Amino acid sequence: MIRLEHVTKIYGDTLAVDDLSLEVNEGEVCVLIGPSGCGKTSTLRMVNRLIEPTSGRILVNGKDIRQVRPERLRQSIGYAIQSVGLFPHLTVGANIATVPELLHWEKSRIARRVEELLELVGLDPKEYAQKYPSQLSGGEAQRIGVARALAADPPILLMDEPFGAVDPLTRERLQAQFSSIQQELKKTVILVTHDLDEAIRLADRIAVMSAGKLVQYDTPEAILSRPASKFVHDFVGADRALKRLSRISIQGFVHPSPSIGVNATLSEAMAALQSHRSAWVVDHQGQLLGWVDQTTLSAAASVREAIVAQDVTEISLSSSATLREALSRMLGQGFKSIPVVDENRRLIGEVTLSDVEAATAEAEA
Amino acid sequence: MIRQLVTRDSVAVTGSIIGLASLPLGWLTLKSSRLAAGTSLSLWQVVGWDGTMVMLGLWLIALTLSLTKKTKWQAISLGISANVILIITLALAGFESSRMLEAEETFARVSPSAGIWVTLIASYILVFAARQGLQEAPAWRHLVSWTGLAAIGIMLAIGWLDSLSLVQEFSGREARFQQELVRHISLFAGSVTVGTLIGVPLGIWAVRSRRAEKPIFYLANITQTIPSLALFGLVIAPLSALSFAFPFLREIGIRGVGPAPAFIALVIYSLLPIVRNTFVGLRQLDPAVIDAGLGMGMSRAQVFRRIEAPLAAPLVLEGVRTASVQSVGLTTVAALIGAGGLGWFVFQGLGQAATDLILLGAIPIIGLALVVDTVMRTLVRLSTPKGLGGGEP
Repeated sequence: MIRLEHVTKIYGDTLAVDDLSLEVNEGEVCVLIGPSGCGKTSTLRMVNRLIEPTSGRILVNGKDIRQVRPERLRQSIGYAIQSVGLFPHLTVGANIATVPELLHWEKSRIARRVEELLELVGLDPKEYAQKYPSQLSGGEAQRIGVARALAADPPILLMDEPFGAVDPLTRERLQAQFSSIQQELKKTVILVTHDLDEAIRLADRIAVMSAGKLVQYDTPEAILSRPASKFVHDFVGADRALKRLSRISIQGFVHPSPSIGVNATLSEAMAALQSHRSAWVVDHQGQLLGWVDQTTLSAAASVREAIVAQDVTEISLSSSATLREALSRMLGQGFKSIPVVDENRRLIGEVTLSDVEAATAEAEA
Repeated sequence: MIRQLVTRDSVAVTGSIIGLASLPLGWLTLKSSRLAAGTSLSLWQVVGWDGTMVMLGLWLIALTLSLTKKTKWQAISLGISANVILIITLALAGFESSRMLEAEETFARVSPSAGIWVTLIASYILVFAARQGLQEAPAWRHLVSWTGLAAIGIMLAIGWLDSLSLVQEFSGREARFQQELVRHISLFAGSVTVGTLIGVPLGIWAVRSRRAEKPIFYLANITQTIPSLALFGLVIAPLSALSFAFPFLREIGIRGVGPAPAFIALVIYSLLPIVRNTFVGLRQLDPAVIDAGLGMGMSRAQVFRRIEAPLAAPLVLEGVRTASVQSVGLTTVAALIGAGGLGWFVFQGLGQAATDLILLGAIPIIGLALVVDTVMRTLVRLSTPKGLGGGEP
């Protein structure tokens, strides 16, 4: 879909991008990462001809982009940047409508598209279409920025730290939203970031750059487990094993767990705890209530009384969580296992510390 | 306690005190002829003790209101009392001056003295203070601001003030006044228009080209530092040389003296504020906004038309406003090189030591400057995109 062939960019006597070759497949998210000044933004901006390479060529769909008028090329490539750059004198709706208007879409079609996109990024069209950028929070502005980039449904999306200017909590939420949008739309994306966690979370492939050179281009798993050089090794850091866990969904590790109905008798409960130190307690609908162990059970008159009922949402995970989240819950709660629930808080099973260890060992091998 | 009073409404208190101070000053001056020295008559000599007590009472009411806690109704009452003072003062001046003239020779004149001028100033300080308290009530704000001026207009129109020397000065020169007023307006409006047509492109050029930026601002700054009269003089020499070399220029009215050099000098003066504001208006734009526009496939011209121009417009117009107000004033000086305009009355009056003639030029100039300022401020406000707050700059 996008091919960079021996691309070099020289500013004055600085070598910004040095003989870089890279191919991004259709529907893939390629994350360019590296320390600041490594040439990642320059690389990105050459793809839509905001800057021109000094040498080498770039192909989009097999066609050399120098043969396309820059305006036309850019209208077919979504573009979202860290500082968002929303037009302050235009409403959110008019901002999103920018490229469709440049393409002379019909008014009614543009209006429908604006509504669709606001819904896609989770903002109420009625409330937001008429707002001005100055009335938005940082997170909302970035979502509008992404919606604007998607407006004319371009097959390609270029994003320069699109979630950079917001607080960590909002950033995580935006990343999750982007992941689910991307799963639906399957755009070909090049995303620049300096945040390794973001890269691991979003990328199908990560391109690690250093001083204008591409030093490793591979899946996040491979980058983490087999760094190609000392630079990449140092860049991904000593906690790469931990980082890798965030690429692994707990889905493959959930197994049935001992559970006790809240109306079970004490002796039934004791029997269930013969082989385990503790057990999860569920109500008649299967919703998680808490847990019991032999100590609490022996001091209580009924199972209900024995429940150590913490905030259930705090100890349980949904099945879309990653092993890293599971591990952090375990460490935070001091548990050796974490219950997994469905969207109705019904117990599905559990993930144990030994599962996490096994997954780590497997990836290491 | 004094601090508390001062924080109440120091502007209104100042206005009221100035108003009270106007009472012992001379109110009207009776002169045997237009140029003769006159006798100054105090308020009580003109309107008697009862009239004086009315004025004193009105100012004391104003002072009391100034010291009252600021509320909407306090501001309205303050504004109303200021307008009442203004209207009563002028009505009395008009009435008493005609009464006094009946007993005098044909050439006698009655002109307003310091007392009346100070009263007018003080009452407008109160109007200003009242306006501040009426930001939320535009209808009242406009009423308070314009009633007094409207009343003056009506009194002038129905001839109530005809016996005041200033109006007599006008009556003798009505045609000339109109001619010079039109000349004044066309000189300043024309020069600012041309200044805008040159200044805006220069400002854009300065933003776009690092090489052009320095010389453009160097020139614009230099011209601004030359005193106006000197600049008028500097333009005379090359223009008269030109008109001698090319006689057809003389035929279309371009000579060393007269409106042509004044016009050129005024254009030069209007350049700096316009160039500077255009430059700042474009330079202050968030580069990310322009990057986003280009990145989404706008051409350079589309970025300018759709993004840069609307966002910079309020600041550019603000520059035009500065240039306009400045130009109204400078056009006065242009009368010295034979360009005409309201300055003609000022300098004629200075030459003859005829105060009324000076005022006949000066007061409309001030009025013109205020009107131009108001109109331009409105334009600036209207041009401010809604998303940018839309308030006053």
